[in-house]
Amino acid sequence: MTVTSYQPGEIQGLIEIDASKCKGCDACQKFCPTNAIEGASGAAHSINKDKCLSCGQCLINCPFGAIKETHSALETVIEKLADKDVKVVGIIAPAVRVAIGEEFGLGSGELVTGKLYGAMNKAGFKIFDCNFAADLTIMEEGSEFIHRLHANVKGEADAGALPQFTSCCPGWVRYLETNYPSLLANLSTAKSPQQMAGTVAKTYGAEVYNMQPEKIFTVAVMPCTSKKLEASRPEFNSAWKYHQQHGANVASYQDVDAVLTTREMAQLLKLLEIDLAHTPEFKGDSLFSEYTGAGTIFGTTGGVMEAALRTAHKVLTGNEMAKLEFEPVRGLAGVKAASVTLFDQQLSQDVTVNVAVVHDMGKNIEPILRDVMAGTSPYHFIEVMNCAGGCVNGGGQPIDGNGSSWIANI
Amino acid sequence: MNNNKHEFAEDSFFISRRKFMAIGSAFLAVMAIPVGWFASKVASRNDYIKSRSAGLYKDDSIAKLRVSHANPAVEKYYKEFGGKPLGHMSHELLHTHFVDRTKLNS
Repeated sequence: MTVTSYQPGEIQGLIEIDASKCKGCDACQKFCPTNAIEGASGAAHSINKDKCLSCGQCLINCPFGAIKETHSALETVIEKLADKDVKVVGIIAPAVRVAIGEEFGLGSGELVTGKLYGAMNKAGFKIFDCNFAADLTIMEEGSEFIHRLHANVKGEADAGALPQFTSCCPGWVRYLETNYPSLLANLSTAKSPQQMAGTVAKTYGAEVYNMQPEKIFTVAVMPCTSKKLEASRPEFNSAWKYHQQHGANVASYQDVDAVLTTREMAQLLKLLEIDLAHTPEFKGDSLFSEYTGAGTIFGTTGGVMEAALRTAHKVLTGNEMAKLEFEPVRGLAGVKAASVTLFDQQLSQDVTVNVAVVHDMGKNIEPILRDVMAGTSPYHFIEVMNCAGGCVNGGGQPIDGNGSSWIANI
Repeated sequence: MNNNKHEFAEDSFFISRRKFMAIGSAFLAVMAIPVGWFASKVASRNDYIKSRSAGLYKDDSIAKLRVSHANPAVEKYYKEFGGKPLGHMSHELLHTHFVDRTKLNS
């Protein structure tokens, strides 16, 4: 028996360095959050897969384009789209809509929600906006936070652990599971929006679509490589378990059947000769494309916290926030902290909630975790995203032509 | 007076072919990365992070509804299917448990 950081069935070694292209320049090591990249300067490097979070930061920043993913569902998805018996549901993450345009000649950061819906509709996908699931995540994770806060204020014996960490980012979750298992009680038990979306599409969605759940094929389109690993976690077949309990008897299927990165979705559309830049806008085909502004900002650092505070304010005080933009959690500082005092109707007293937002995790998280372990953390709620800037800069996003692979062409 | 002794120690100059190649490659790699590459890389990265984030904040500011609890589709989900947040169905479908990965064996 050897020690491993993977459960059976999980995708291992997703990110790999091509030794024949690697020049040993060490650039990737500067972007790796876990020091998982091994090898002396000048010699070809390799990735320690047990330390690797599959975040893909090395891949998008390699100056020689020497780093690759070992798993792609592109061909499978194209086959499923051609299969008339299967309903292919495309789950679109927030950060995809402001980046995929770059692959079709549009400007950096251009918002293309309607065009992306249109292009994916043309390709044969049902549209399920992951922002709907992000709103659902706020309902669950926000309620969980308020529950923990109240239980702690009242001093209940089995009050949940504070601070509560967000659990949307699979790189962060895997980091905590691998390096700080004693803090797992602090992690919100809410699934990530991707996993909620897959589960809802195959349970409630099966009713909405009037389809047998095993004939629904869910494809998450993500700015993230680590989401592939997350979707492969063996416990993420809750829709199947639900239907088995309700009398079904079929072979197990995952909640999310396939994950395509933003780059791979662009590739798929190009293979099907769909030019996103010139596709008419489409509004969606079910209630699963309805989302709020709070759901869409999940894709950037501070967005989950801002969305959670908007809802927590309403639940605790009974009123909406006077100004929805919560500036202290916006921007690119490594750790952003803020304090909010509000009148809690249920407790009939003022409560002060201290929040923190961490991104570029490898460089910023350790001091925070040390404080939590020591019991001296001033915070109640902490958002963590692995990638600098959040999902907008995820390992599955289009690679910036000015900054990286250009050098390989010299 | 000159008391220096000159010893011929050719062996100390010797490096193996393998080592020569390694040093040469390291040298080439350093030459290939212009000075300040990392700093300029981070600067250009921050540019596209900012433009993409601005795109999402724009999506938020133009949205008709801007708070999750006002999403009518979410309300419909709970009413027709999910019950209420943190309820039985949520526990079964929308929450999970985490894994202590220091205790896994293959």
